[in-house]
Amino acid sequence: MVLSGLPLAQLLMIAGGAASVTVLLYILKLRRRAVPVPFARIWDAVFRDRQATELFSKLRRLLSLLFQLALLALLIFALGDPKPRTSLLEGRHLVVLVDGSASMKAVDVKPTRIEVAKAEVKKLARGLGSADRALIVQMGALPSPLSTMSSEITELDPAIDSLTASDTRADLERGLSFAVDSLRGLPKPEVVVVSDGVLGDVAEIARRVELGNAQLKFIPIGKSGTNVAISEFSVRRYPLDKSRSEVMLEVANTNDRPAQVELSLLGDGTIIDVSRFLLGPNERLPRYYQDLAGASRTLEAKIRFADGQADDLPADDHAYALMPERHRARVLVISKGNTYLEAALLLDEYLDVTTVAPGSALPSEHFDVAILDGTADVLPETVAAALYLNPPEGGVPLKLGARLTDFGFDTWDKKSPILRFLALGDVQVANGRALVPGTGDRVLGASDQGPILVSGARSGHPFVALGFDPRGSDLVLRVAWPLFVLNAINAFVEEDTGYVSSFRTGEVWRIPVPSSIDSATVIDPHGVQHVVPVKEGRAVYLGEEAGFYKLSAGSGSFAVSSEFAANLSDLAESRITPVTELSIGRKKAQPVVIGAPGSRRELWVYLLAAVLALSVIEWVTYHRRITV
Amino acid sequence: MGFLDLFRRDTAPRAKRRERALFDDEFQRKLEMLALVSRRVFAGRLRAERRSKKKGSGLEFADHRDYVAGDDFRSVDWNVYQRFGKLLVRLYEEEEDLSIYLIVDCSSSMAFGDKKKFDQARRLCAALAYVGLANLDRVTVVGVNDAVVSRMPTTRGKGRIFKVFEFLSQLEPGGVTDLGTALKTFVAQHKRRGLAVLFSDLYDPAGFEAGINVLRFNKFEPYVVELVDPAEARPSLKGDVRIYDCETGEERELTITDGMLDKMQRAVSDYRAGIERFCAQKQVPYFPADVNTPFDELVLRVFRRGGFLR
Repeated sequence: MVLSGLPLAQLLMIAGGAASVTVLLYILKLRRRAVPVPFARIWDAVFRDRQATELFSKLRRLLSLLFQLALLALLIFALGDPKPRTSLLEGRHLVVLVDGSASMKAVDVKPTRIEVAKAEVKKLARGLGSADRALIVQMGALPSPLSTMSSEITELDPAIDSLTASDTRADLERGLSFAVDSLRGLPKPEVVVVSDGVLGDVAEIARRVELGNAQLKFIPIGKSGTNVAISEFSVRRYPLDKSRSEVMLEVANTNDRPAQVELSLLGDGTIIDVSRFLLGPNERLPRYYQDLAGASRTLEAKIRFADGQADDLPADDHAYALMPERHRARVLVISKGNTYLEAALLLDEYLDVTTVAPGSALPSEHFDVAILDGTADVLPETVAAALYLNPPEGGVPLKLGARLTDFGFDTWDKKSPILRFLALGDVQVANGRALVPGTGDRVLGASDQGPILVSGARSGHPFVALGFDPRGSDLVLRVAWPLFVLNAINAFVEEDTGYVSSFRTGEVWRIPVPSSIDSATVIDPHGVQHVVPVKEGRAVYLGEEAGFYKLSAGSGSFAVSSEFAANLSDLAESRITPVTELSIGRKKAQPVVIGAPGSRRELWVYLLAAVLALSVIEWVTYHRRITV
Repeated sequence: MGFLDLFRRDTAPRAKRRERALFDDEFQRKLEMLALVSRRVFAGRLRAERRSKKKGSGLEFADHRDYVAGDDFRSVDWNVYQRFGKLLVRLYEEEEDLSIYLIVDCSSSMAFGDKKKFDQARRLCAALAYVGLANLDRVTVVGVNDAVVSRMPTTRGKGRIFKVFEFLSQLEPGGVTDLGTALKTFVAQHKRRGLAVLFSDLYDPAGFEAGINVLRFNKFEPYVVELVDPAEARPSLKGDVRIYDCETGEERELTITDGMLDKMQRAVSDYRAGIERFCAQKQVPYFPADVNTPFDELVLRVFRRGGFLR
């Protein structure tokens, strides 16, 4: 037995002082209850017996004194926080990785897997030895430590209570790496994984993570579950007819039995399509909705069993998408006349086109884009961006290089939003000029003779320059031509930002915002605001919840706001059948035995309980008038 | 108005209600019944016991004596003269009013235990006063502790009972019991001897005998009604206590046990037995009056014992 609280010398001092006070109080004359009687003389007969009873009375007072001293001794002993010597041995260090992935939202165990996991972790915390320490980590897309390495229940309990499941997958690799790093150099390390086992390719993870001397333990959660899911969901407007859109989604049955399901599609909150169909065992079924009408902004898809029953994982039964928002863009065309250009601009009814001849006075109002066809007029500040087609020497934001003949696009940036959906491989061009990109400019397309399509920005005004006259090529005869023009305009007016109809949860999202902004505010589906940084014209945010988000940035006339959607879209998380065993490499996880040797033994609690029990006995005997 | 005023406001009316309830209509009906019962039970039978020893102008023949000069001729018994030739004068009993003195112990001990003893004493006193007044006796009510604290002038006639009620209602218990001293004052104030009924718990530090003896020695006919509260014989006490006499403040420190309470009960019984024994020896009528027994029942018990009425 050792004292881990106050030292013995201090305890003895306290005991001496307190005992002295107690004894002093008992030495003082007992203040008796004063009771009136009608005739004291009659009591004289019984008063003669007082001598006989006095000794017993004194004895009882002595017993009472001893009782008080015993209580005092117990309390002071409790102050010393006595502990068995064995409990002061080196304790274990545990990192408890609690799966916070979407599959932990499954309700196959009541109320949910994550709640059961919390209960198990609480049992584990209460079963810790007095020298053991534990760190609670939520394992989502990123491992999040919720406590310090502590043995205090008062710290561990709130951490356990704050565990939640998000709409992401659990990154076991990062979790294990974090655990190994946290346990490095600590004695008796243990990694406890609390999960349903839906953790991705564990074998692959085991190759990349070395647990070292840490013991691996596993608390399996969940029984079994039936689930159907929407594993993919996206929407896009037709590039050449933005008033119409199409939806692609994929539904999956993760069970070994066929399932009759009902799929509902909601546009702007109103049902626009309901279909029922049979999904075979473990079948993934893609579905397309073409020429979709009835939705202008939001799209949602919901799936459930046809008999109305809900499955065990509601998180993947609901998917969200946003239609790209349409803006009416103002376009200034400076051209002597270009039928192909005019035809391309006619395809988008949301364009407000103003045409002027080269050299004439330019309108003073604001334009989103100016298209300079074979000219290089100086643009006023009111023009936000420019598309140069076959620019002449001088006046262009970049220099012209060598003259080119009979060339085409040998390389082009397929990821550039300006060249999206374009097939440029066999475009034939008769004549043109190579473009000399300046610092920070980006070559979007080039022939083997030099760059012919360059984008960049000058004084905050973006531009795209095409080094040849499209009429001198077969480009204008291709679908690629109007797509190129419209893509360029969309890129300039930043309408394309909404084109990502939905993000995937658990990934870092890069949401386009005006490049002049430093930070933005993201409002998640629960209405919580998050200030996020903007890097290279993209707001960076790790989203973990499915649903509709709002983004706002800038202020005053530069204020912008947009919406976007996020979905789980992870078939691996939708497969909720739990795993009962876990092995990382050669290490097979051992089950956790709660309340095993080394459990928390706080003797002071028992001492206080003894004090309480003695007090109750004293109280009862007092009221039964045994001790008074 | 302060918080304590609430209590003050409340206690006074409660005390008044209590006093009114002491002699309420029900009480008065019972008194009437007792008066009737007393007449029916004792009429004629007991009158002789109360005849005066004086010979005088009463209606009832008592004796003859020789005629002496100056006697009233009208009292000569001519029948005797005719038969025996002797002049004898007829003597009649002197009829006189009986004086009833009702002495109520007003010491603090009488108020002990929610004034039960004092209330019972006052009821009994009122009842006996009514019976006495109904028999046209002279009734005097006196309150004593260690002195005569209050005195209602001698009165007679049934209609005066309300005066008795009023007097008894105004009596307040307090002070120390010293019946010897108090009754010495009483006898000095009342030259006319008669029946003296003492209502007391007889908790007299100087000894209960002193008061009774004062009455006896001064030719009064003492009549002892001892007020008894059974709760006093076994109080609900336990543990270390400091008892003090409610009258004298005399203190004792005791550790009370069950055995001690048994002993206390025996001591009370012994004390009462001592009173009874003393009264029996001195031929003083003695009635224990339990505070829990209805007063009318007690009064009837007093009547049956006899001696109270002529």
